[in-house]
Amino acid sequence: MAYKKPVLVLVGALLLVAVGWWGWNRFRPYAFHGTVLQSTEPAPDFTLMSADGPVSLRDFRGKVVMLYFGYTFCPDVCPTTLFEVQRAMELLGDDADQVQFIMVSVDPARDTPERLKEYVQYFDPRFIGVTGSEDEIAEVATQYGIYYQKHEGTVATGYLVDHTASITVVDKKGYVKLIFPYGTPAEDMAADLKYLISH
Amino acid sequence: MKAYRWVVRGVYGFFGTVFVAVVAFKVFQPVQVLPRVRLGPGFILVDQNGQQLTNEDLRGKVVLYAFLYTRCPGDCYGIVPTLQRAQAEGPAIMGDIPFRIVAISLDPAHDTPEVLRAYARQVGADPAVWTFATHPDPKRLKLIVGAGFGEYYEPQPDGSVRFDPRYILIDGWGIVRGEYKYETLASTEERILRHLGVLAEEIRNSQGSAKLAYEAAHFFLCYAP
Repeated sequence: MAYKKPVLVLVGALLLVAVGWWGWNRFRPYAFHGTVLQSTEPAPDFTLMSADGPVSLRDFRGKVVMLYFGYTFCPDVCPTTLFEVQRAMELLGDDADQVQFIMVSVDPARDTPERLKEYVQYFDPRFIGVTGSEDEIAEVATQYGIYYQKHEGTVATGYLVDHTASITVVDKKGYVKLIFPYGTPAEDMAADLKYLISH
Repeated sequence: MKAYRWVVRGVYGFFGTVFVAVVAFKVFQPVQVLPRVRLGPGFILVDQNGQQLTNEDLRGKVVLYAFLYTRCPGDCYGIVPTLQRAQAEGPAIMGDIPFRIVAISLDPAHDTPEVLRAYARQVGADPAVWTFATHPDPKRLKLIVGAGFGEYYEPQPDGSVRFDPRYILIDGWGIVRGEYKYETLASTEERILRHLGVLAEEIRNSQGSAKLAYEAAHFFLCYAP
């Protein structure tokens, strides 16, 4: 019987490591890729116009909302970002239905609701594009920490609009939860969104 | 069977240790942080040199915001002395982390860039650290300061401005990390300086495995008083 004891101790030790590893993975706080906020106040609500009628943030309570400020004449940053979000949606598979991507125009003079719809739906038919008056856009952008400003472009592009290029993520309860800086890979966004969908 | 019992004890011991560690972390708070309260506003202001100042220009910098106006009578809630002290001690506390002070005037009709420039000189504001700014359009200013920073103010018929004296600390990601109201003025200065230290520690040390400790501190709401 004497030979059995070391074996059992070894098995026990391995079991302990396995349980520890499982417990660590199961209970450790999830490490988000995006920058996390712990807002105590709900995200500022807004109502803006899409091609299919008015859209408010509160319409999407129960879904995870990605807010992005851009414009359809945007030469590089916006298409790159929308392409990454599209890939993230693909990675999410069926869970993507729990996510609503909304692009708010920072160029209301040129972006009509119809033009926005056509633009965002080129990437994903579930995406929504909204716009409003100059004052309405200024208010929403200010509250979401978005800077934007017109500047000279070329003859072909007309004027351009510099703007903050991050994505703001609002959780299912309507609180700002994450910021994805420009250039966040689709895989990282998908992982964070998946966590927010299931928690 | 004896060995089996040891295994069970081991499992209990493991979870017990984890539990005690978590409770100890929460109670003793070896790592303290400032909460990530909400998004700071997006804005375009005009500084004392007539230059544009935006929230994007300040990205990557820790910024202490204050609200005032140059015609504010008396000691004006001690705002200027508080900012003078933040200017004197803030950069040393922050070390290599860029630190700025932005004082936003609530009286754009009077506080033109020239007036702000003269005022900045008068109070000894170092242009490398401390900027004065406002927005010439009162409606836009109200949007930025009122809706954006959540600061209440109301211009009065006699030219004065009624307002809640407040300081707001925003980190390099544009996230509000601290708000300091007048009610606690006796300790406001000390709190701001202490919080700058806490924030600097987090920015400096929040890498690799230490980052986990800081994230745990956020998770367990281990906030610096």
